[in-house]
Amino acid sequence: MPRPRRSRRTLTTLVVLLLISVTIITLDASGKGHTLTSGIKSVGTDVFSPFRAGVDDIIDPVGDFFAGAVHYGSLEQENHKLQAEIGNLRMQAAMTPAQQKELAKLQKLLALDGLPATVTRLPMVPAQTIRQNTSNFASTITINKGRGQGVVVGDPVVGGGGLVGRVVVTSHSSATVQLVTDGQFKVGVVYGNNQFATLVGQGAGKPLAVDYVAPTTKISKTTQLVTNGLAAAQYPQNIPVAVPTSIRTVTGATQKDIQARPLADLGTLTYVNVIQWSPSPTPQTKAT
Amino acid sequence: MTAPGVLKICLVVFVALLVQSTVGVGISILGVHLDLMLLLPIAAGIGGDAEEGAVMGFVAGIAADLLLPTPFGLSALVYCLVGFVVGYSTGSIVREVWWFTPVVALAASAVAVMLYAVLGAVLGQDQFLQLNLAAIVGVVSIANAILILPAIRVVRWALPSADDTRTPAAGGRW
Repeated sequence: MPRPRRSRRTLTTLVVLLLISVTIITLDASGKGHTLTSGIKSVGTDVFSPFRAGVDDIIDPVGDFFAGAVHYGSLEQENHKLQAEIGNLRMQAAMTPAQQKELAKLQKLLALDGLPATVTRLPMVPAQTIRQNTSNFASTITINKGRGQGVVVGDPVVGGGGLVGRVVVTSHSSATVQLVTDGQFKVGVVYGNNQFATLVGQGAGKPLAVDYVAPTTKISKTTQLVTNGLAAAQYPQNIPVAVPTSIRTVTGATQKDIQARPLADLGTLTYVNVIQWSPSPTPQTKAT
Repeated sequence: MTAPGVLKICLVVFVALLVQSTVGVGISILGVHLDLMLLLPIAAGIGGDAEEGAVMGFVAGIAADLLLPTPFGLSALVYCLVGFVVGYSTGSIVREVWWFTPVVALAASAVAVMLYAVLGAVLGQDQFLQLNLAAIVGVVSIANAILILPAIRVVRWALPSADDTRTPAAGGRW
């Protein structure tokens, strides 16, 4: 008995759509194709952003109202604290002629707190976090600076005392930053007496894994792991990344089992700095 | 599927994406947020047929992938398959009990999230299987089971083949 025409058409539609999907995935996974898919994502984000911002402007006050109703007690305490801070800030503002400049400087300082001078001297774009974790399967933040402000894919992002992550998608006025805790994140680090290791993200809320530390290597929970800045490295030298939280030597294993905690406070990332950096054969910053 | 039909689907997907990227990501339970885009192909499969489920899944998946940092096309592949399977497997079933639709949405969402994680791992995103998958499956499935009835109402407006012949016989309404 011949198959009904509609059923055949349905199957054809399914096969065509699946083939298109697989083709797109293959393109995205390949080097040149990824540039194309990144471009499409970037255009999509550019088109969609104004609509999203419009809805955010409408729903944010409503969300704040309900959040305020639920957390009334803690908000009242915070309110008192903030009022005291406002008083101090008003005094400071009265002494400052260019308030806007001062505010921008303070925001920058807030994001740079705890970073070494070698890092803070690099050219940077201060940015504000506007969204966290858009996917259940990736650890990311979205920041309010994009291509229009000089942010490009691959730029390292610092803030809150250490390395936050790197830019993976950019649009004209925003960018997506892959956090150090994301499962796809890897960074080469150095510690102690010029010893090298690799830090690998394991997902949001989970510690980082430290790979390639030989069982005989001396490492403690106070050892700071910083970016190694080797030739063609994705990150400049000396950015603090993490400190070990557990160190185990497993008998017969080729490396120590080490878990580490990111130095940047990823839970409260209000302001960050995007370092305008491109990997080069010798460790150096972009020309400014 | 006609041009106005495709336009209606695109409009529904656009609005859903807007809601997902603003309200959906803002609501977090156990660190997991809602996946309203996955709701669309399931609703289209239940409220329409297998072909419409697949088309809705593809369009919703591509739209979702535009804003996600995960592999481009992965959501389209998974949603397309889920929409088709839901439409195909529920097409000939007479729905006499009110809980049929939420249970289908619950099961389909759970399968979709697991399929997404497995395919992601196959594509080199190993961390997809190391995350708290049980929490993601649980939150997304339960939320979709709760939201499926209003979602079907919205999706049926956009679907050309949607009619009242598939309304539950026990007097219930979608």
